[in-house]
Amino acid sequence: MTDTAPHSHYTLERPEEAEDPQTIYRELRDNAPVARLAGRATSHTLTISRHEDVVSALRTPEVFSSDSSAVEIGNTRPLVPLQVDPPHHSKHRKALDPLFAPRQMAKYEPRVRELIRELIDAVVEQGHCNFHEAVAEPLPSTIFLELLGLPVSRVHEFVALKDGIIRPPAGSMEERFQKVRATGQKIYAVLEEVVDARMAERQDDFLSTIIDAEVDGQPLTRDDVVDIGYLFFLAGLDTVSASLDCMMAFLAQNPDHRQRLVDDPAIIPHAIEEMLRYETPVPTVPRITASDTEVSGCPMSAGTPITVLLGSANTDERVWDRPDEVDFDRESNRHLAFGGGVHRCLGSHLARMELRVALEEWHARVPDYRLAEGLELKYSPGIRQVDNLELVW
Amino acid sequence: MRIRVDTELCQGHGRCYMLAPDLFDADGDGYCEPTNERAVPTELADQARRASMNCPEDAIILTEET
Repeated sequence: MTDTAPHSHYTLERPEEAEDPQTIYRELRDNAPVARLAGRATSHTLTISRHEDVVSALRTPEVFSSDSSAVEIGNTRPLVPLQVDPPHHSKHRKALDPLFAPRQMAKYEPRVRELIRELIDAVVEQGHCNFHEAVAEPLPSTIFLELLGLPVSRVHEFVALKDGIIRPPAGSMEERFQKVRATGQKIYAVLEEVVDARMAERQDDFLSTIIDAEVDGQPLTRDDVVDIGYLFFLAGLDTVSASLDCMMAFLAQNPDHRQRLVDDPAIIPHAIEEMLRYETPVPTVPRITASDTEVSGCPMSAGTPITVLLGSANTDERVWDRPDEVDFDRESNRHLAFGGGVHRCLGSHLARMELRVALEEWHARVPDYRLAEGLELKYSPGIRQVDNLELVW
Repeated sequence: MRIRVDTELCQGHGRCYMLAPDLFDADGDGYCEPTNERAVPTELADQARRASMNCPEDAIILTEET
């Protein structure tokens, strides 16, 4: 089967494209709803961008499989449960859901609040900070290492390993893949060391709980626990940082929106959902077709890597009223920032709690802030981190 | 008005118990409860509509009684 997807000059891999992805999403939806993007890593991949097609792909895992990864993230075995299809997926997912359920997350809220207060204390008097370095990176990574049971004293090493996978240094594609795979081996080594220690002696942490979890009445294998840990390592150390970056960058440039959070903190949970929709900090998820299929009139052969553009679905004017307006009072917000279908983000309730507590505490202490004079924000392609987020107040 | 949740479609986004706390709560896995079909008290009709309009999986089914 020959697909008929038009080529696009966009790559979604260039830093300059990450500044205003919403405009690119709109062009793709209008002109190439199934597109073959330019760029090295995406040349064989088809990108789907309309809300209807994105939802359909997320809800039919038997056609749009997660079984085989279309992206190089350094792992040598499938990540559990992200890269496992139903029915196997649901058994592992069911074992992990209770760890991240809202009532479980509520128990960690006081610790998150304590930590964000310490981070704000460290910068509040100086009147400026790089928010990414001062808050967005240390807050979620510290909390996550504490929850998982990895040594917090090694946070900088772990963040560097995570960045080595998610944002590998420039170079040829083969050089990048080699570096990513080498970094993956280091992550396996860290996890194997800690998992072995917990198998010998349990502690009050997620890894110990996962070791004692059962699937079909059987304990998980050491590899299963490590493969769950690998997924948590990449997801837990990056996505909330990027989300905080995106939200604070937006609020620093939109004083009316910022003032509403200051005046009415009760609106913060709704503001978070709306900023998640518009910014979609994790803008894509990968799939691979398990059978021949068709999307928006475009035939696709089995085995085609697919990029599912969540960020575009979240701003598609075919379903959203005023999609480019960030409206904290939006009546209907069925956003897909956490994905959708069976692989919907496992950590979403942790993410929401951390984002809410961070925005509550920050706006109580630093209500009036803006971007540093002349600052040009640098959003990373892929997961949308802003590592030069210099704020002044 | 009656409401029910299609448990095959629900993936635990949690929008319903955030927006309609008098109709839904989170269970121990983060999915909504209850899911069975039931009548919506008149004073909770707005919450029911909001929950339905905000479910990313279209899992909340409302039926108007005639």
